[in-house]
Amino acid sequence: MTIFKHQNRSRLLTMLLMAMIAFAIELPSAWSQQMVGGRKYNSGNQFYHPLNQRTPPGVAGQWAAISGQVQAGYIQPMQVSLPSKGVVTFYAGSVDRKIQKASPAPIGFSVGYVYRIKISGMPEFPGVELYPTIELIDRLHPPAGLAETYPVPVSLNPEDIELALSGRMVTKVVYLERPQTAVPAKFERQPTLAITAKKNLIAEADLLGRPMAIIRMGGRLPSTRGDDPAFFGSGAPVVELKNNRTQN
Amino acid sequence: MKYYFLALGTLVVVCVGCAADGQQVIDKGNYHAPPAAMMQRPGPMVDGPGPGVLQMLAPPPASAFAARKSQVRFVGPAGMKVGWQVPEGYAENQITAPGRYNFNQGATYRLKLSNIPGRSIPALYPSLQVYPSHPTTDAYLTHNSIPLEITPEDLDQVESNNFVTKVIYLPDEKFQELAIAGVETLVSTRLDPGVDPVAEADRRGTIMAVMRMGNMDLEMPSGNPGNEKVSQVSYDGDAGAHMPPMPIPGNMIGVSTGVPVPSMVGGMGAPGQPAYNPIAGMGPTPAWGMTSTGTPIGLPGPPHLPLGGPASLKSHTIRNRSKVNLPKPVDHFLVDVKQNPAPSLPKPVKYVQYSETHPVHSPGQVSYPRTMAPGPGY
Repeated sequence: MTIFKHQNRSRLLTMLLMAMIAFAIELPSAWSQQMVGGRKYNSGNQFYHPLNQRTPPGVAGQWAAISGQVQAGYIQPMQVSLPSKGVVTFYAGSVDRKIQKASPAPIGFSVGYVYRIKISGMPEFPGVELYPTIELIDRLHPPAGLAETYPVPVSLNPEDIELALSGRMVTKVVYLERPQTAVPAKFERQPTLAITAKKNLIAEADLLGRPMAIIRMGGRLPSTRGDDPAFFGSGAPVVELKNNRTQN
Repeated sequence: MKYYFLALGTLVVVCVGCAADGQQVIDKGNYHAPPAAMMQRPGPMVDGPGPGVLQMLAPPPASAFAARKSQVRFVGPAGMKVGWQVPEGYAENQITAPGRYNFNQGATYRLKLSNIPGRSIPALYPSLQVYPSHPTTDAYLTHNSIPLEITPEDLDQVESNNFVTKVIYLPDEKFQELAIAGVETLVSTRLDPGVDPVAEADRRGTIMAVMRMGNMDLEMPSGNPGNEKVSQVSYDGDAGAHMPPMPIPGNMIGVSTGVPVPSMVGGMGAPGQPAYNPIAGMGPTPAWGMTSTGTPIGLPGPPHLPLGGPASLKSHTIRNRSKVNLPKPVDHFLVDVKQNPAPSLPKPVKYVQYSETHPVHSPGQVSYPRTMAPGPGY
């Protein structure tokens, strides 16, 4: 009888110790899971996005260049389109070296830089001049020799221009659609999705595809008294494209 | 039975030892990156390697595009003339509303508003405090002007001997009503009594400019002929004479003008200097690791940085052979002063504890666009 009691007690003790061993083995992973999901700002499996539409101009491009994920300095063909007609002015290195093109205007921008451009001569907005910026944060990978045929399209709508003229700031992110979710249709105009200010524009674009460029437009004009070199940026390289062969 | 428990205990120790390698007790294994606002700014550890090993074709620092001047747009009333204080007095009629001007950030200016349509006020002398740009307002100030409108209600308040404070700020996302970013203006006369419009605007967003306006005439003759200044120079914008505004000093120690200085402007803080953030790589501050001292023996910079090659010049000696006869400097100099009554102040603060708590994001919790994600190079 005594031996039987001893055996029961030792079994109970063994089970208890085995449970402690199992708990000790599972402890680190359980603890780390609690760290992952246990914070309020990250509840609901939401990611933290360091970049958003309020990030100062140039930061996203700089991060892209430093990360090494994109070929910094690569000349990416772009195409800037206005509502109907108009003139797009690019600044090649300085304010004095202008390149003027009729809309849709092809141009080559370097990845990782911010460019100031001028749009003017729009028949819908007579006398209006605006100075949006384009921050190029990624590049396309077209077949060899067809880079100019597939530029990154930058389209400015009449609604964007009206909002900028009313004193507001318009921020657009051009992204390359995911092939799996892209709509297999040809659009007359570049399709645009509008989101609320409370959402993160870059994160939304990253969700839908690959962010290529950030376009910001407001009503600020260059100073009329003296030079205003800071307004036009750092003098990033601009390459004038001779061919206007585009395929969207 | 003893051996049984001994073996079981050994098994427990071995299993626990394998599961917890000691790091959990001593080192939690967490590595915390600086907060996002700090990572947006270049500096040690957060902005890549130093200049000696920086990649070629890398773009300039992001600060190259940062707004150092804020463009203030005087919306109305249409036809109002805007002048400002200059060293010789006041430059008149520099701008006619609606018009705009680029003011250096981080400074306070004394404006002169005249020819106000429909009013018999000779002139108003408001102060305009232009705040330095902030990471949250940088993009806006680079692309937009700050609208400043003097409304009829403001003029009524000023004529009634009231003091009007207008704060123009960019609201945070949670306070934005519309989808497109735009500024909002808080006016002291529309707030409840006792509510500070500057503090309220600071709570709702980021302040870009503050205008304070009363009806004090700052060009009134003092009444003492001996103290009156006669300006030989006048600047009339209507006649084509333009002069940039002169920043006015704020509430420095010993000087009280009723105009507070902008908060958080580093550097020398001298009036008239553009906003200066003493952060490595920002504005005039050299990037981290850049040499700042030229040494005559061939070393290009601080010895702890891998800059340049080994020194070629091994010695550099200059000997002064001039015969000079200079008296030895005084080694002890004594001046006895006595102030009666002597100053007696409370003990100064000798201990301040300041702690910050930042959110922690492990690699699995942070999402970047593909091009910015840390990983192998291109």
